Amino acid sequence: MNSRILPRVLAGPGLLDRRPLTYAQHETNFASSFRTTNLLQELEKSGLTGRGGAAFPTYRKAQLIADQHSRVKYVVVNAMEGEPAAHKDHTLLATNPHLVLDGAAALATAVGARLVSVCIPREAAATINHVERAIHERQRRSNTGPKFEVQTPPGRYVAGEESALVHWLDDNETLPQFRVVRPHVLRIGRHPVLVDNAETHAHIGLIQRYGGDWFRDLGTADATGSTLVSVSGAIRNPAVLEVALGTPLHHILETAGADTSPQAILLGGYGGTWLHGDHVNTPYDNASLAKFGASVGAGVIMVLPKQGCGITETLRITKWMANESARQCGPCAFGLPAMAEDLAHISAASRDAVAAIQRLYGRGQAIEGRGACRHPDGVVRLVRSAFEVFQPDINRHAKGQACAAAATSRYAPVPQLASESDLVWE
Amino acid sequence: MIDLTSPYLWYISRATGSVSLVLLTLVVVLGILIANRVGGKAVGRFEISELHRMVSMSAVIFIALHVVATVIDSYVPTGLISSVVPMSSSFRRIPVAVGAVALDLLIAVWVTSLVQEKMRNVTWRLIHWLSYPMYAAAVLHGFLTGSDSHQRWWLLLTGISCLVFLGALTWRWWQRPSRADGRTALSPLPGSGLSTQSTRRARQVDRPVPGRKRY
Amino acid sequence: MKKRNELLQLRVNPILCDGFGHCAELAPDLVILDEWGYPIFPDGPFSPGEKERIRSAHLAIRGCPRQALVLERLSVDTK
Repeated sequence: MNSRILPRVLAGPGLLDRRPLTYAQHETNFASSFRTTNLLQELEKSGLTGRGGAAFPTYRKAQLIADQHSRVKYVVVNAMEGEPAAHKDHTLLATNPHLVLDGAAALATAVGARLVSVCIPREAAATINHVERAIHERQRRSNTGPKFEVQTPPGRYVAGEESALVHWLDDNETLPQFRVVRPHVLRIGRHPVLVDNAETHAHIGLIQRYGGDWFRDLGTADATGSTLVSVSGAIRNPAVLEVALGTPLHHILETAGADTSPQAILLGGYGGTWLHGDHVNTPYDNASLAKFGASVGAGVIMVLPKQGCGITETLRITKWMANESARQCGPCAFGLPAMAEDLAHISAASRDAVAAIQRLYGRGQAIEGRGACRHPDGVVRLVRSAFEVFQPDINRHAKGQACAAAATSRYAPVPQLASESDLVWE
Repeated sequence: MIDLTSPYLWYISRATGSVSLVLLTLVVVLGILIANRVGGKAVGRFEISELHRMVSMSAVIFIALHVVATVIDSYVPTGLISSVVPMSSSFRRIPVAVGAVALDLLIAVWVTSLVQEKMRNVTWRLIHWLSYPMYAAAVLHGFLTGSDSHQRWWLLLTGISCLVFLGALTWRWWQRPSRADGRTALSPLPGSGLSTQSTRRARQVDRPVPGRKRY
Repeated sequence: MKKRNELLQLRVNPILCDGFGHCAELAPDLVILDEWGYPIFPDGPFSPGEKERIRSAHLAIRGCPRQALVLERLSVDTK
């Protein structure tokens, strides 16, 4: 496969046909006579980092588990995709499930695991179907290699966080765990677990066939390879694209058919960062985005047009994130709803807006870093970036002049709560 | 057993029994005050906690005296074994058995609290809940043993203790803190109205879907 | 063996913490409470030489009803 053409993990007829590839189609699609015998070495060469949001070097995570002395080890494919604005993992599994399973099998063999758990939210019936069919196909063809199973935790936001996911597999509750040191070896019982995002496994599947050098032929020196992005917001149809890391953002927006001169762009996920529309020609990689405090994250690109209201969108997201808190830690359980309340005052340009702005600053500083997981930190980061990017608008709101879109702006895909009783913190 | 038939041992046994009941009532009430987050302004919360620990030590001492006095008094043939193994006494089997149950529960609560820092907090808490049935067993033991249970002073004492206990239990349930009530006089800022709403800890326990097959 | 370049830090397990607030009473030199009653440690790590702080830390650790506090040793790399 030519190293310089896209798509890579989404290559093949699956996207157009809207049907996942069969095993036979998959083998033809990704034809290669070469299979590396030292996957970990190729992973190191490739510079592949996790595509779930944390961007941790994949080979280091794998090496940590490979070095564990345990007869039983597990590999987990994290397809939970708790971000409402992200669809890349589901699209990937609906297109090339075998590539993901290839990568998982290769990784399992390389680290000494014999069981692979593919974790999919129980509400995603179609995706579960695709993966189960694919596993069936593989089983019919051969009985060697690691065993596959599908697990279906509830689709809460924190369920995708790797310690929460492993805790669910171990103990039946999607609760993030307090980890004293990082990186930390996650365990089910006493057995080490290697958790990676579904897209990461797909890239591993390609690296196994084409090598680490092939992988880094795309992208930049620090951010190698391609990545999947989910574009939503000011776009006719929310899209999932595969792009080379380092591509300028406006190019991605153009290809996706989104608004190319937006007011702002939310990058990473709902715990990510707003980027001002003036910087829309920034290359899409962590080094370039870091200058604006942003990161690639889970590949979320949510476009806010000029006629939207950034504060209202931030409020909608914060409310939802507050409700998704596992509520194990006080600062998050109470801090996030408090921040949402302050944002509501600002969005409505009420008389309390100025005081609310002051409170928000203080609360953000107080909440950050004091939870067991990074959920509250993400919300604090989001709100802080909103304050930088939407500063003029916030000033107007503080003076009592809400913008025209304040009450109606609805660009961020925030799930509707089924009933009032779902809103646990009110 | 030592051949002591002095009636004073018998008096000591009964007296320490009654005192133990009063002390136990005090301990349980103090424990309830801790659980319901009382204090922080005039009295420190840690002070109530320390008081709870100290009074419980006194209670343990008096209960020990009560058990020892009863065991070595050979006028009443209860041995050491029957003070911890229920239903093993030939004399007044049921009342002593109930007392043995109370003592067993007390030992569990007391010993786990001595090594509290070395054990899992969840386990310690579960065992500590046994204080409630322990109290009930202690009261029942006093009632069934009957040595003083027809005396007015005893009935009054036990009755008031039970009322206090039940009242405290009710208050414990009624005023149980949502996680919002962490604030003490030492919290610097007033909380906003919304954030101090009751948010019970949302446990997301979900059953696994056993139908998902292993391959 | 006590290392010379080692610092101590009082830390809370935020999942176990239930906001009782005993730590702020017992170790006011190390802990303050946020507006919801949960502990913040405003100062950074301290050296093992500060005996008063170590005493406060131990009082707070022992007094926590949820045993949520721990005194962590951090090794500092010397250049």
